[in-house]
Amino acid sequence: MPEVRVKARDGSDHIVAATVGAPLMEALRDGRLGIDGTCGGACSCGTCHVYIQAEWLDRLPLKSSDETMMLEALGEFVPLKDNSRLSCQIPVNDALEGITVEIAPAVE
Amino acid sequence: MGEMNLKMLLESQTLQRAPFPVPMGWYFVDYSENLKPGELRNINCFGQEWVLFRSEDGAKVGVTDPYCPHLGAHIGHGGKVCGEHVRCPFHHWEYDVNGWCKKIPYAKLMPPVTKKQAVLRTLPTIEKYGMIWSWYHPACEPPAWELPYIPELEDATGYTGKRRGSWTANTCIQEIAENGPDVAHLKFLHNAPMIPPVEVSYDGALMNIDIGRGYIVGKSYGPGLNVMRFNQKNPATDQPITATMISYTVPVTHAQSQMNMCFRHVDYAAGSSELAFTLKQIDHMIGAAEGEESAGFESVDFIVWNNKRYRPNPLLCDGDGPILQFRKWFKQFYVEVDPTQV
Repeated sequence: MPEVRVKARDGSDHIVAATVGAPLMEALRDGRLGIDGTCGGACSCGTCHVYIQAEWLDRLPLKSSDETMMLEALGEFVPLKDNSRLSCQIPVNDALEGITVEIAPAVE
Repeated sequence: MGEMNLKMLLESQTLQRAPFPVPMGWYFVDYSENLKPGELRNINCFGQEWVLFRSEDGAKVGVTDPYCPHLGAHIGHGGKVCGEHVRCPFHHWEYDVNGWCKKIPYAKLMPPVTKKQAVLRTLPTIEKYGMIWSWYHPACEPPAWELPYIPELEDATGYTGKRRGSWTANTCIQEIAENGPDVAHLKFLHNAPMIPPVEVSYDGALMNIDIGRGYIVGKSYGPGLNVMRFNQKNPATDQPITATMISYTVPVTHAQSQMNMCFRHVDYAAGSSELAFTLKQIDHMIGAAEGEESAGFESVDFIVWNNKRYRPNPLLCDGDGPILQFRKWFKQFYVEVDPTQV
């Protein structure tokens, strides 16, 4: 089970174990790191927004148009960055061992 | 004796009443007068339930799938018309007549898909002829043709006639409509004096039929609309008079059809021979004319429709009408949904 390094919204650092084949969102959600993942991966809720540490970005699948649209919608509420991703759109695999992410602010 | 063709004898065992899906097309839903501003109700047609509603200002009519894309509540049980939208009772999500989600009262972020496309299935719906019409396509494709101008229903001055009828047949539209080109049955089932000559031509979704060299001239606009004009000379004046039967059959399911008709004629002066004659023409159409031996469809066709089965390989003879060409034309209205897309 690959390990994921997470910076939570309060700035604290955590390590959670992720399941290969499952979306990264689930590991963050189940680790109670402030990710809801309400829609289950349909790109319809925007509650799994993370910032990916730059060196990992190229190893992730490209954004779908649905993910891009949701990120743009999120940008009206929270800072949108070049490394913004929806963690539900990132399937975990062994090559992601050690991936480092920061939980983006929640939409208030 | 040669070898016997067993299929000829045994195919009957595999026959079905209506071995077809609901055909695509424009279909009558209801008369406009039956749906008030702000009204919402459930209807059954095209093999499922739908929610029919009219906007509060009266201008727009929607026909939607009943089940909310959010969590599946039935919008027609407890739902409400809000302005131009229909509102689901469960969480008050609102949809317009095209199925676009226009409001989620508690979401900060509208799901992106709601900005890209309709999320609730609706049927393209218009009002014409004083009626509500919906376009049904199993794969939600947009209308492939337009409803025609029908002067008898749309010319505000020249025509009149309030007669309407509605009947339910336990078979599909194709089987009902096949009686048009099947002119031989007119003599034997309806006691017409002869088998009339028939000419049929096809142009896309349009079928033109001429029965009895101009006596009945009909146009079918897909499976759901038929305009049949009956032309006869008024014996009192020797001038031709046309009366019109407009029929608009709805596939309630793939195997049950609700036939609706209205009858229109020129608005002749009260007491004129023209008026008396054209009213008799209309009586004749529905088989109610006094002193006539011919039988209208009401009394005899249903016995056949309700009990027959579709013969995919019919045994036709030389006096039969152009049945197979009709079937080939009708086939275009059966479209399949690509299973990989759903």
